[in-house]
Amino acid sequence: MKRTVFLLTALFFFSFFSFSAASAQVQVRIRVILASNVGQAIDPSLNDVHKELGSLFNFTSYRLLRDEPMNLVPNRTVTVQGRRPGRFMEVTLIGLHRDNAQLRMKVIREGVDLLNTQVRLSPGRTVLIGGPRYGEGVVLFAVSSRF
Amino acid sequence: MKNSCSSVSTLLEKYFDQEVTEEERFLVEGHLQDCPGCRDALSSMEELRTLIKAPVEEVVGKEDFPWVWQKIEREIRLEKKRTWWSSLRSWLAATPLFRRKVWIPAVATLVVLLLITAQVILKKTPSSQGVSVVEYLESPAYNVMVYQPEEPNVTVIWLFEGPEEEQRTT
Repeated sequence: MKRTVFLLTALFFFSFFSFSAASAQVQVRIRVILASNVGQAIDPSLNDVHKELGSLFNFTSYRLLRDEPMNLVPNRTVTVQGRRPGRFMEVTLIGLHRDNAQLRMKVIREGVDLLNTQVRLSPGRTVLIGGPRYGEGVVLFAVSSRF
Repeated sequence: MKNSCSSVSTLLEKYFDQEVTEEERFLVEGHLQDCPGCRDALSSMEELRTLIKAPVEEVVGKEDFPWVWQKIEREIRLEKKRTWWSSLRSWLAATPLFRRKVWIPAVATLVVLLLITAQVILKKTPSSQGVSVVEYLESPAYNVMVYQPEEPNVTVIWLFEGPEEEQRTT
């Protein structure tokens, strides 16, 4: 009987903590977009933000360079490589709340922080980080969350 | 056949208490017609009963039985109620299925299912009212603009490159 009680207790705690750990993560999609005025192509995978891009910027072409869906767990930094060596973006989940995720994001070029920011991102929302030039256009990082 | 007093006397008490069979009653009554001694014995029994019954009936007549019954009912009501736990335990002890401890895996399964369900129910549900908020921003090399449109599906952080940066990147 004692052994059964012990096993049940162990099972209870294992289930509880494993499910808690599983739920404390955020699905994030990071897309690297090249926005330019060369051509008029809009990548089909940008349909969800196409309207916003059109109303915010004057670019005629939006090309998807990289699409990285990832699961963020607290305090673990993930890196998204840029098109050129030494350019990348770091994203860290630093807090998870009822209706938003707290993310720290860095855009780094050759070891120098171009941008260091902290945002609260609600599900279905997108943060666009743009400006660095690339070729004949600019690079946009679109960070969207879902949890 | 004439019955002797000794054989009838054993039946006489039963006859007096009206516990004899039809055959015995016939036998005793037949004997009583011919036997004044047994008739006297029967009369003595009746007198004795009257002697005992009269004072008892007198006492009963004085007693207030409705009041006694009310008292009993009150005592029943005041009797401590059994807790649900003791009721459950006695029920479990009385049920052969549960006495064999087959309920342990069932309870374990139920607990696991409850945990899973609770996790799903209590999972952080997204709120459509939420917005994106830029809490902190730092850029040593760029001028930065944060733009939050009225319909805040998208928040824009824009880095303005200076002419020297532009030359480096292009």
